[in-house]
Amino acid sequence: MKRPPMLMRVKIQGEDSRFGLWLPLFLLWPLVLVFLLILSPLILVAVLILWPSGWGKWALLVLRAAFEVFCSMRGLQVDICDRHQVVYISVV
Amino acid sequence: MSENQKRILEMLANKRISVDEAYRLLNVLESEKSEPEGTLKAETVAKAKPKYLRVTVLPDPANEPGQKVDRVNVRVPMSLIRAGIKLTSLIPPEAREKVNGALREKGLDFDVRNLKPEDIEGLIEALSDLEVDVVSAQGEKVKVYAE
Repeated sequence: MKRPPMLMRVKIQGEDSRFGLWLPLFLLWPLVLVFLLILSPLILVAVLILWPSGWGKWALLVLRAAFEVFCSMRGLQVDICDRHQVVYISVV
Repeated sequence: MSENQKRILEMLANKRISVDEAYRLLNVLESEKSEPEGTLKAETVAKAKPKYLRVTVLPDPANEPGQKVDRVNVRVPMSLIRAGIKLTSLIPPEAREKVNGALREKGLDFDVRNLKPEDIEGLIEALSDLEVDVVSAQGEKVKVYAE
């Protein structure tokens, strides 16, 4: 399994404003895990209720695919600069 | 008939590729068969799988240094493209129609249902050969390539 990204850097620079952020994603992981553990009974009940209509399985697949997308973001780099603004996003 | 040849014919039958494309792919398969094994191995080693898709827009080098210009440098991991295609197959039918409609409005007559997870590796392989190199009237260089 792929390792989830550890850090995210966001930098937005306008003509008269500047915003930069180093987001330590690895610090958020324990919080997300605790949040998921608390919500897991509710998720399970929702999936069981939705299972006969086919949406339960779909919801589980979407959750898995979304997690995979998140884990695949490692290495993404967006650097766009125009005459007025600079946007830089990097996922490490 | 090999498994690859069958797949190409199936894609042709499902109208996912044109007759010309199928002919070209079948020719490539034939030439691969006739080549000695050593050559094939060497080619495989030399052509490593690409890791990123790069899109760059570089300003005209004639511009004065320090002058404010448009610049784009985007690096998308191939794994993200793979995961994105997998996610596409989970789009609900109602939303899919909206996506297709939006694409049609932009002049892209493409059905996202045709993006199937089993075709991902073929697509990624095709991307590795892709190279777009455009120079605009303003002297900006646009490049799209895999690395």
